[in-house]
Order: sequence, then C-alpha cells, then structure tokens
Amino acid sequence: MSERTLTVAASSRRDFLRIAAAGALGSVIGAPAAGAAPKTLTFLHDSSFIRDFDAYFQKTLAPRCLEETGIKVDYTLTSVGTLQTRVSAILETGSGADIVLNNFNWPFLYDEKYVDVSDIAEEVGKAQGGWYDVAKEAVVVNGKWKAIPFGNIGQLMNYRTDWFHEVGFDKFPDTWDELLEAGTKLKAKGHPFGFELGHGFGDNHGWVYPLMWSYGAHEVEADGKTVVVDSDEMARAVDFARTFFQKTTLEDCLGWNDASNNKAFLSEQISCTNNAESILWVAKRDFPEIGKVTGQALNPAGPTGKRFHILLPWSHSVFTGASDVGTAKTFLRWLNQKQQLDDWFASADSYYAPFLHAYDDAKFWMVEPRNLPYRESLKTSHLPGWPAPVSRPQAEVIAKYVIIDMFAKACSGGATKDVLTSAQAQVKQIYDQAT
Amino acid sequence: MATLSSEAAVVAQPRPLRLPRLRIKEGTAFGWLMVALPLAFLIAFVGYPFVYGIWLSLENRAVARPAVFIGLGNFIADARDPVFWQVVRNTFVYTIVATILKAAGGLALALVMNQNFRHKDLARAIMLLPFIVPTVLSTIAWMWILDPAFSPLNWLLVHLGVAPPGPSWLGNRYLAMGSVICINTWRGLPFYAITLLAGLQTIPGDLYDAATIDGAGSWHRFRYVTLPLLQPVLLIVTMFSVIFTFADFQLVYVLTRGGPANATHLFATYSFDIAMSAGQLGHGASVALAMVPALALVIVALTLYMRRQ
Repeated sequence: MSERTLTVAASSRRDFLRIAAAGALGSVIGAPAAGAAPKTLTFLHDSSFIRDFDAYFQKTLAPRCLEETGIKVDYTLTSVGTLQTRVSAILETGSGADIVLNNFNWPFLYDEKYVDVSDIAEEVGKAQGGWYDVAKEAVVVNGKWKAIPFGNIGQLMNYRTDWFHEVGFDKFPDTWDELLEAGTKLKAKGHPFGFELGHGFGDNHGWVYPLMWSYGAHEVEADGKTVVVDSDEMARAVDFARTFFQKTTLEDCLGWNDASNNKAFLSEQISCTNNAESILWVAKRDFPEIGKVTGQALNPAGPTGKRFHILLPWSHSVFTGASDVGTAKTFLRWLNQKQQLDDWFASADSYYAPFLHAYDDAKFWMVEPRNLPYRESLKTSHLPGWPAPVSRPQAEVIAKYVIIDMFAKACSGGATKDVLTSAQAQVKQIYDQAT
Repeated sequence: MATLSSEAAVVAQPRPLRLPRLRIKEGTAFGWLMVALPLAFLIAFVGYPFVYGIWLSLENRAVARPAVFIGLGNFIADARDPVFWQVVRNTFVYTIVATILKAAGGLALALVMNQNFRHKDLARAIMLLPFIVPTVLSTIAWMWILDPAFSPLNWLLVHLGVAPPGPSWLGNRYLAMGSVICINTWRGLPFYAITLLAGLQTIPGDLYDAATIDGAGSWHRFRYVTLPLLQPVLLIVTMFSVIFTFADFQLVYVLTRGGPANATHLFATYSFDIAMSAGQLGHGASVALAMVPALALVIVALTLYMRRQ
C-alpha cells in the first residue's frame, strides 16, 4: 500500500487505528488470504424444532463465515434423537465431523475426545456479560471447559389459561398441591393433565426430577457415591406423584414419548403438560385460537418451598480427531461473537435460552413475553442426577430410566416401598459396578 | 488336412491325459472364486462384528475411553439386574406369541391364496404390503392408530359402547405388550404366507386326488397330505421368523422405546439404551449377546429335526 493510498484510506488517526484493529482481528480469526482455498469443517447438529433456526445458519451464518474467516462450514443435520448414535460412531472411528452439538451430559461422557476450549469460553464470557452458573454445570469437566455452552431448552408448565380460569385459577398454581387441586377439578370437567412417564428424551425428566427435588429428594448424594433413593423425602414425592397421576392425568401418559404431549395439547385433549416452548410456537402458527389461551409458567414449588427445572443444555465441542483443531476453534470463536449469536438466537425466538447474561434483556425475549419464564428458570435448573456430579454410572441410571420407571410403576399402582426398594437396589448396583 | 493336423497335435501333446485334470483344477478355482466373495462379505460384515461384539462384552469399555478386560463381569452384572430378567421374559413372550400367531395366520392366508378366485394375483400383491412398507413408516402409522385421541379403534369401541373412554393401548403394560405383538404379527404375516404358498404349490395335485378317492375329507387331506409335505418349509420359515422376532428393534424403539416401565423392552432395545445413551459399549454388548444361546438352541434344534425328517 502506498503512502498516498494510506493517507486517503485513513483520513484520521482514529480511522487508521480502526483499520489496524480490523486487520489484527482478521488475522486472529483467520481472515482468508487472497486466492487461498477455503478450509472446510463439518458441523454436526440436531435438527431444530424451529425450522428458521437451521435455515438461518445455512443461509446467513455459513456464507458470512466463509466471507469473514475463509472457513467453509458444512452444517450437517441429524433427525431428532439420532445424534448421540452418530457421535458415538465418530468417537469410535475418529472421523465424520469436526464440531458437534451436545445435549444433556455429553461433554462429561465424551470429555477425553473433546478439545479443551476454556480459552474461548473465558473470552466469550468476558465479552458478553458472563456465564450463568448452570452453564458450567453443563460443560466444565475437571476444571476444563469441554464445550461452549449455547442455550437451554427449558421444560416448563404449558397450560390452558381459559380452562384454569374456569376452575378458579387466574394464574398458574404456585405449589404442587395447588396444581393437584386445579388438576382434580379440571379432570372432572373433562380436561385432564398429560405428564409424560414413558421412555422419551426430555418431557419425562422435565417434571419428574424437579418434582422430586422440590420434595428434597434425589437419587445420589453430592459425594457421587451414597445412594439415597430409598428415603422419606422420596417416599413422599412418590406418594404425591401417584395421587397426582390418578386424580389429574391420562393413563396413556405411561406410554408417551416426547411428541405425545404436544399432540395431546394441540388436539385439546389435555389442559396442562410440561414441555419446551414448542407447543406455544406451533399453536401460534397452526392453531391460533389455542395459541391465544396457552400460558407458560415455572414449575410449582414443593414442600421445601423451592422450585426446580430440568437443565437441557445445548453446547458445542471440537473433536480431538477434528481434521484441523485450530480452524475448528477459530470457527467456534467466530460463532460465539455477539454479532453472530444475536440473530441466531433470535431466529428461534427464545426457544434456546442463552447461557450468557448479555442476552438477559435481548429483544427476542420481548417478542413473546409468555416465554420469559424460560429465562427465569435458568437460575433453578439442573441436570438429571443432580446434586451428584455427572458420571458414567449416573448416565447409566438415566439411560435405564430408573427414576422415571420408579415413578411410573408407582403411578400404575405399585406400592411405594416396593418401587423405592427396587430402584435403590438398581442404582446401587450400577454405582457399585462402576467402582 | 484337418484330420492330419489333429492327429499330429494328439501325437505331439498328450492332451486327453491332461485336460480332465485341468478341468478339475479350473472348476475348483472357479468354485473357490465364487465362494470367496460371499465368504469375505460374511467375514467382514457378520463374522468380524460378531467376534468384536464378544470381545467387547468381556471389557469394561465406554465410548471414547480405553477398555479394561473384566472377563465375565458384564454378564454377572446382567444376571443381577432385575430389568435384564424382565427383558428376557418380555423377549420370550414377544417371540413365542408372535411366532405362533404368524404361523397360524400365515398358514391360513396361504391356504386361502392357494385357491382359485378372481383377482387372485392382485390379492397376493396386496397381501405383501405390510412386509414391503418400511417398518419405521408402518410403525408411525400404528402410533396414530393406537393414539387415544385419534385412534379409530378407540372411536369404534367408544361409539359401540364397549369401552368408554377407550383403552390406553401403549400406556397399560399388558396392552402395550399385546399391541407390539399384534403389530409384529401384522408385519410378519406376509413372510409366512408367501413362503408357505410357494410350498403349497409344490405339492402334486395327484396326492390330493388319491386321498379324495380314498375317501379323505378336506380336514384329512390337510392333516395327512398338506401338513406333512409343508413341514420342511414351515420349519425353515419358523426358524427365520424366530430369529427376526427375537432380535427385533425398530418396532419397539419407535413405538414405546421399551416403556411403559420396561414392559416392552427387548434385548435389542435394552442393549441400545445401555450402549448408546449410557455410552457403556461393553455392557450393552453383553446384553445383546445374551440372546445368542437361546437363538442358537432354537436353530440347532430345528436343524436337527429337519435332518431327521
């Protein structure tokens, strides 16, 4: 660049500094050298319930990434529920993708094959208001960030405001006991509840674990060793769940999967369920009359006076076997800049509640104020198995649906002592075998 | 000239002595070549995974972690797991009931299809539909059929006043098992029917004529002519059906994922949950392999029986 050109381009010292800073940033995030072939990365993702979300990445973010960093991103989608099988195959063969989306506890299950991205997490957190505490619960393994947290798919109460109003509830009940009262009246009027107790992925955990925690019960202590399924608190939680199920809920819920409650709510078969924002989202699009009378609320509090929610976090990791770990990290660093995240989050309304405080007052929360409880729930959300640290035996307890089935057996008539004893033995055997 | 040349050639090269040997060698090589490809295929895609599965089952092997050899540790853990025994019971009930229903229904269907009637070929083609449609697709259709809100079955039962408000087909543990058995039967019936129909068509008509002349009625013709001659085909179909049903995965995974409360979990679905969701590959492999002895017994017993016949 000639002296004259520089003078024209940078008419002031401030402009010069701006250009220099942009150049430096470009070199840091890997701006493409002229004529260089783009580096290609495969980014493996679950299909989103919100179509615009995937479309936004493919149509806007991927081209922008190529332009700004020279990285061509192949955004590969898997159908819902099949991603973990793909991830296992990639981990075993060492090829297939470079960056992957995580659900639930995967950063802990696969931590040895995930790159430490603590440097990016700290930069992103520092630049965007800091991380929610639950973000660390989701991805920090032995002090290292094994993924960059993205957002939480909250599981909250979805209910019919008009039917609740008819039985005297102008706002959603604050406690499980009040919800039982409302549900009993609603079932009598032909509007039962529908809470999943089958072998689904999220909607069963979404209410069973929070109910259990709000009674002061959990399956394993925080030491990660002591099994406490067979406790007085758990017995009270199970007793309540049985009564709640029999007085308020459809029997069919015992065999439901995650799609069943959406279908039942939108066909006006049930008056309340536990779900992500997807029910309201679909109702507004396809069943506007139902959309107008759909409310969303935090889970009720239990006898401890506390309310809890399930943590269903999405995060992104780089495989240690990635074709180019440096490029993959550059992409993650770029993706997690505010100018990218802002619109990507917004494309899904607020379906993915951001783990960064910079988005606490983002515009997309105001698009649908009924979604605000999902932001609020981040403060009281935990992974299934909490307060025990995430571990392989804990993952096995969840994969075998030990806790869900314990409640399901009680709800279908099993004696409290029997189901507790059986689940205690199962959890203990799983933990003993692991040691 | 030609004769002379031939004779000269015969004298010069003692071909009649070498040619037969060459032919045998060529035939052997060709035979080996023909066998080699399928054999390599079997070793690569059946033998290796099977042996690797056995090896995995002897290890404490988690996804993305190094393995530790633990001998029969996984199998001992299975034996102590109450859900594993529930899975064993479920799989046997599922296989036995579904196989009996498929055998009886398939035989009946084959006998009907063996008659002469108008549009016979069309009827045979339609009969195959459940077998042709991909399992996942047909199972999703069944999900709607069994859904309490949209079920035509429930609509019928409710409107006939038989069972208001309609059964919970997948929420009740017994009905859930009954439902998956019925769907498996519906899907597997054409396999039985079409194979048995092929078997029926190989039975010479003369035998039926002779039996009729001897005074045999339709039941006796079926009992003493059809059934004995159809037995080899019936046994082979049953063997295949038992293997497919015992190792079934798709139907249960799509419909119930083993619920409610493990009431429909089979070896394959339980093994998948442990290996994939929990990431315990070794433990999952041990559950999958636990079905091998039972299947091997069935196959050996049926093979011996057929040889004796």
